[in-house]
Amino acid sequence: MNQLPFSQLNNLSAPLRCHIRHSQPMAIKALIYYLLFLPFGMQSKAFELFDSVQVHGFASQAMFLTSGNNMFGPSISNPGFDFTELGINGSWLPLPNLRLSMQILSRRDGAWSNGSPVLDFGLMDYSYNFTSDYCLGIRAGRVRQPYGLYNDTRDVAFTRPSILLPQSIYYEGTRDFTISADGLLVYGEMRKPWGNLNLELFGGYGRTDNKETEYSFIQKTYYGTLASDPSFVGRLNYETYDGALRLALSGAYTSMRYKPNPSWDTLPRGNIGFDPILISAQYNTEKWTFSSEYSYNFFSNSGFGPPFDFSANGESYYFQAAYRFAPKWELMGRYEAYYPNVDDESGKAFQQNYGQPAYTQFAKILTLGLRYDITPWMMVRAEYDYTNGTALLTPQSTLNAQTGNPDYSNTVQYWNTFGFLVSFRF
Amino acid sequence: MGKSILKGLEVCPPVMKQNKSGQIPCCGGNFFAICICCLVLFFSNYTAQAEEVFVTVKRGMPTTVPTSRYVLSAIFGMRLTTWPDGSAIRVFVLPDDNHTHSLFCKQILQIFPHQLRTAWDRLVYSGTGQAPEVLGSELELRTRIANTPGAIGYLTKENLDESVAILPVK
Repeated sequence: MNQLPFSQLNNLSAPLRCHIRHSQPMAIKALIYYLLFLPFGMQSKAFELFDSVQVHGFASQAMFLTSGNNMFGPSISNPGFDFTELGINGSWLPLPNLRLSMQILSRRDGAWSNGSPVLDFGLMDYSYNFTSDYCLGIRAGRVRQPYGLYNDTRDVAFTRPSILLPQSIYYEGTRDFTISADGLLVYGEMRKPWGNLNLELFGGYGRTDNKETEYSFIQKTYYGTLASDPSFVGRLNYETYDGALRLALSGAYTSMRYKPNPSWDTLPRGNIGFDPILISAQYNTEKWTFSSEYSYNFFSNSGFGPPFDFSANGESYYFQAAYRFAPKWELMGRYEAYYPNVDDESGKAFQQNYGQPAYTQFAKILTLGLRYDITPWMMVRAEYDYTNGTALLTPQSTLNAQTGNPDYSNTVQYWNTFGFLVSFRF
Repeated sequence: MGKSILKGLEVCPPVMKQNKSGQIPCCGGNFFAICICCLVLFFSNYTAQAEEVFVTVKRGMPTTVPTSRYVLSAIFGMRLTTWPDGSAIRVFVLPDDNHTHSLFCKQILQIFPHQLRTAWDRLVYSGTGQAPEVLGSELELRTRIANTPGAIGYLTKENLDESVAILPVK
């Protein structure tokens, strides 16, 4: 007795079948009837197909005012507005188990992103529910990287706990590289009274051909290109069915290759590896959300030869609490820390060896924020950050006007940031 | 085949019984007993008046087997998107700040509306799923459930009628 989604078309053509059974003139009538109703039948089907189409979007603009270092663009003493996010996505279910999704993103975050639209994700997703308890699926195309609590929707201000995600785990400098990649993702989900267990495994090629990633991994732009080798990302996620507790273990094995410009280059061919492990936990009550994530990563430059070859293990974490003290209002507080080299957390060895300030080797940030949801589709947020260290400054925030390269010589160790953000979504 | 609406409503009587049992201690003369009686009455009345929300599906959907809360949570969380026969589940809800929506989240799914919104956002903005269709009123919700194949939603007792069927929850 269950009616299938496309059954309306059959219902409309039912009079036709009944007429045909009667007699020949009736059949002619029926033909007229059919021709008359065909457009409606088609509309009905089109409507149902269209019914499974969804379009959503978002737009955010941030303002940063800093006391010491620039954020994305000039922001010291005068507010900077060089941070804009615009996105539109669509999804369509041609079949109940098959979904096509795509998102176009335009982003400005300083000198290197001028807002030209890019394909953020574009994928085909097929899933099969064996019973209501077990599901297996596959996504192919440009897919979001399953990583931590927030990476999946990191460009949507509404889903972030603060103006920017905690930089200790979701560093803006490697955003393009982290957010989505081209390849295949298989996933499985188990739903039980004790909770949902979800495993996602991705294999493919990262988006490495951009300045931020290049600067973040090789500190300077050279003449060649940075290409991704096969990389793997995975996440095991557990969530109680009431959403109160969420635990996740994510890991990535990423590999890149520097290809020198054949005619002229100062950097030889070499490999870069970046392998992070991330442990995430979140606890929700009606008014409170507590979140914490801890990451340990292995970084290595190899094959370049001295002085470029280098390896280090980094560590980062944050503790965060959000309190919804009144409807539409949320207060948040967070402490986070990041050390790119656990063997030199003070940065002293780095200073001795490379002559750069020690404070470039750590970042400790205290954040306080207030969010107000004016309507379900409009939100404003104000935030204050107190930062010690510049390890999480994005390269595009420290550009030297003359050389066009990041330059940490004019940075300061202690600085304040006031941020303001307005965001819309539909 | 769908269970009749009246059968579905038979879940209510225990609440009424509580109400009656609350009235019996009132016969005592003791002041404190009266106070306790008043309190009991107050709370039992409160229970009786508290609105009940029912998970409703299009008539003709199989409703003989009670559905577990964690399965409903997967359906309304938009992670389980097909019925056992493979047809698409169409989820209809009311806005996040709607009273009935809030009741449904807490009574049936035992979740807070903001968590459900977070779950939908995660799907919609990562390309991994769709959001349910948000409607303006229970009346609209009922009409859409009654007329959409594979539809599921929820209604308060006073908005139930013959056009939809109740999905029992275990």
